Amino acid sequence: MHDLLTGVFFWITLGVCLIGMLARFIMYFRGLSWQLDRVAYTSYPAAGFKGAVRSIYKWLIPFGTYGWRTQPFIAIAFFGFHLGAVLIPLFLLGHNLFLREKLGISFFTLNADVADIFTWMAVASAFFLVLRRLVLPEVRIMTTRYDYFILLVSIAPFITGLLARYQVGEYSFWLNMHIFCGELLLIAIPFTKLSHVFLFFASRAQLGMDFGIKRGGMKGTKMAW
Amino acid sequence: MPEGKFCNKKPVDTAEGINELLSDTSGNDYYKEMKELEVDSDLLWKTIQNTVKSRMKTWLEICAHCGMCADSCFLYEVNGRDPKQVPAYKIQSTLGEIIRKKGKVDNEFMRHCMEVAWAQCTCCNRCGMYCPHGIDTGIMFGYLRGLLYQQGFVPWELKIGAGMHRVYRAQMDVTDADFVDTFEWMVEEYEDDYPGLTVPVDVEGADIMYTVNAREVKHYPEDLAEAAILFHIAGENWTVPSKGWEETSLAMFAGDWAACKMQVESVYAAMERLKPKRMIGTECGHAHRATVVEGPYWAGRKNGQPPVESIHYVEWLAEALNTGKLKIDPSKRIKEPVTLQDSCNYIRNQGLKKATRDIMKHIVEPGFFIEMSPNKEHNYCCGGGGGFNGIGLFRKQRNIALIKKRDQILETGAKLVLAPCHNCWDAIRDLEEVYEIGIRWSFLKPVVVKMLEIPEHLRPEE
Amino acid sequence: MFKKILFATSATGASDHAARVAFNIAKSYQSHLNIFHVLGVPSRGYSQVVVDVKTKERVDVDEDYTAWVTEDIRTYYEKYLDESLNYTIDVAVGVPAREILRQAKILKPDLILLGGSTGDEGESVYKKSSLGSTLQKVAKSANCPVLFVNRPAASFWGGLSNIVFGTDFSKISDKAFDFAMKVAKTLDCELSVFHALDISALHAGKMLNQDEIEQQIRESLRKIRSRYEPRLKELKGYSMDVWEGIPFIEIVKYARDKQADLLIMAHHSRKISSEDIRLGGNVEQVIVRAGCPVISINK
Repeated sequence: MHDLLTGVFFWITLGVCLIGMLARFIMYFRGLSWQLDRVAYTSYPAAGFKGAVRSIYKWLIPFGTYGWRTQPFIAIAFFGFHLGAVLIPLFLLGHNLFLREKLGISFFTLNADVADIFTWMAVASAFFLVLRRLVLPEVRIMTTRYDYFILLVSIAPFITGLLARYQVGEYSFWLNMHIFCGELLLIAIPFTKLSHVFLFFASRAQLGMDFGIKRGGMKGTKMAW
Repeated sequence: MPEGKFCNKKPVDTAEGINELLSDTSGNDYYKEMKELEVDSDLLWKTIQNTVKSRMKTWLEICAHCGMCADSCFLYEVNGRDPKQVPAYKIQSTLGEIIRKKGKVDNEFMRHCMEVAWAQCTCCNRCGMYCPHGIDTGIMFGYLRGLLYQQGFVPWELKIGAGMHRVYRAQMDVTDADFVDTFEWMVEEYEDDYPGLTVPVDVEGADIMYTVNAREVKHYPEDLAEAAILFHIAGENWTVPSKGWEETSLAMFAGDWAACKMQVESVYAAMERLKPKRMIGTECGHAHRATVVEGPYWAGRKNGQPPVESIHYVEWLAEALNTGKLKIDPSKRIKEPVTLQDSCNYIRNQGLKKATRDIMKHIVEPGFFIEMSPNKEHNYCCGGGGGFNGIGLFRKQRNIALIKKRDQILETGAKLVLAPCHNCWDAIRDLEEVYEIGIRWSFLKPVVVKMLEIPEHLRPEE
Repeated sequence: MFKKILFATSATGASDHAARVAFNIAKSYQSHLNIFHVLGVPSRGYSQVVVDVKTKERVDVDEDYTAWVTEDIRTYYEKYLDESLNYTIDVAVGVPAREILRQAKILKPDLILLGGSTGDEGESVYKKSSLGSTLQKVAKSANCPVLFVNRPAASFWGGLSNIVFGTDFSKISDKAFDFAMKVAKTLDCELSVFHALDISALHAGKMLNQDEIEQQIRESLRKIRSRYEPRLKELKGYSMDVWEGIPFIEIVKYARDKQADLLIMAHHSRKISSEDIRLGGNVEQVIVRAGCPVISINK
């Protein structure tokens, strides 16, 4: 089982995820239309680029925008969750060892204690995000089962990973579960709402170009995100 | 009765058609007929397939339903934080639903969409600034309005408004002759006070071509006189076109894209005919958005620019004051608490916040200008934008929508509100009518005209 | 003399005293009377909806509605409207002052007759948003003489016999004098030329002694004589006086003293002085206070 998951399955999921992301990313930008979107993307590449970078950069900084500052609760839960969701898969020691064995590459690794903190933070934040969906009427009204499913898919690798990490019950079972959930997540990325992991940059870039080119950028006004 | 006599899918493009629609008092029969209007699902779905591309598809897909847009929407706030007023919910439950059902929606649903599109969103685009994914719901509502218009589900006044543009190339039944006559009449009325005051019509190669809002011609022609006076005192070489003088576009509010194109092309034709150095539009927000910001795209101009550089009135005024073309008599500056309404259409949507503040510096005694909170690109809609002001069917909702601006104004403590935008001006006027908070409101022109320092050679002989 | 008269009315009690004068003049001088009513001010943004000035209700103005309002006006003035009167009724939509001026531009009347300010209008948002009142705007911009009847007391019109002309020796005052002469001659009236020596504003902070005042009065009288008397002699009777005081008060007093049926003055304030009529310029003050109809001439 373990061999299968870390062998064929790993290669398939990784391939589907990367190719899928790349394809959709390209499709997104090819599908932009100056006339339908009413943004002269190609006429002002410099202004568009500046706007796009600003639009992405500002939103990546915790409390970097009015939106984050006016809603600190979700900002904390959001960054708590996403820090873990981005850092742990890439920079956990175990993951890097695995990657080196499989791909011959590895990244910088996190200190084990720090990794624990990020993981718990992600789980706790996910819990608050679920709670928020249940409690706040303005979020509840829009929340569908699909939204919970996405949250579950994204947090499952963390939970199974923790169970394995603390060896609750049988280690190898949880490890396999962990790998399975992780691969499920990778597969889901290009095809579900999880596509936001890369389309976030695309969509933000688009609105950034809109403001950078049409809505004030070329008048010398930087959007106060 | 799928297609009604008044309410149908066909745009109005004759004067008779407009009069017929107008004869249906308050659109009573129009809305009755709307209940029977058939939805052309095939057309709806085909249009969506042709026009919903990456941007909007992605917006609708990746919306995390996180609700962060809720607080950004003034309509959500003033309607008791009704979850049904959350921008993401509003668009997902209308446009999102139409797309999920591949256009197979019924009449009742379309009428619901009409209410959401025109009474629950003013297309102020504020929520777009508060969405982590950069989803601009206002843009999608603008798009939804287009779909609804195509299917005939559009508020009565806006069907008329769009028709006016088709027939008169103006938002009201003001002809080209009416425009020139009225402008000349106004100049005549003021020429004793301002010797040499003229209105140069159709002058080629002028520095400025001035365009207006038809309402000024019809009901508030003093505005034309004031514009002429300010250009005159500033020593500008200006002109007005006898054709293509209307900058506004109710067609934009209606979602009648074909009429939008006709309208802006009439202004662009005037630019090409008269070859001015610049075009300046009056103190109107949506007019600027329509003719300068969005218009080039409707007209198929790939670089997104009108044929000649086009600026908003506040940009010209700021420039004239900054460069000393217009001088303010310091003793006549505003010496009472005064606040400023930022129009969404050219502040948030074209970044002109500095121009208006420069103007305030010149015309207000230091210490008397009080900013609203929030302000600039984060300011709230006046409450009547996007066509909301004029729709009788949604008047109640509109009056509730005014509460946000009312409270913002009250918070400043100012009794005078400067609103360099027709829509904002109307909304603020209406909020005084409805809520009686004891304020006055004004465009910039009348205020500035009164405090000008007039150069010796332009003064009347005593 | 008054071949065509434009009578702008609210068709309510506020215009009743003006109406008496309007119909009286029209009948006495066989004028054509255009009864003009601005039925509503634009409301609700760009839409066609207006607020009816009488009912304060929002209405859609269509043919039926204008026909209904026209009929309403006809009924309101029924007692005046007999066969001997040559009249038309027009209604319009818009900002009252502007629409009155627009109608005057089309009609080119010899006289515009304006009723009293419509009481509670002062409190409404429509007035606040416009620069100054209807009265001030029309007085400033009309191309023909404008007759105001503000107080009920000013409306008793038993024909014209005494006219008071107030002058400040300006160019426009000369025009107003021409007009006063024309009226006096055509209608065979006595004309009293009057000048008020302003001792309030002119010498603020410095009190003139009575000798100085009387010296100035003599000078003003000399001015009146040289400027107007040669032509005044064409009339059956005339008088010339100069009083000192606050001008608008003195003019109103003088007119009362002379039992004037009509006061004629030049209106030449360049700017609308204040949005509040009670703080308005001299002519506005006279209009508001006078016990007889006032005609203002601005060009």
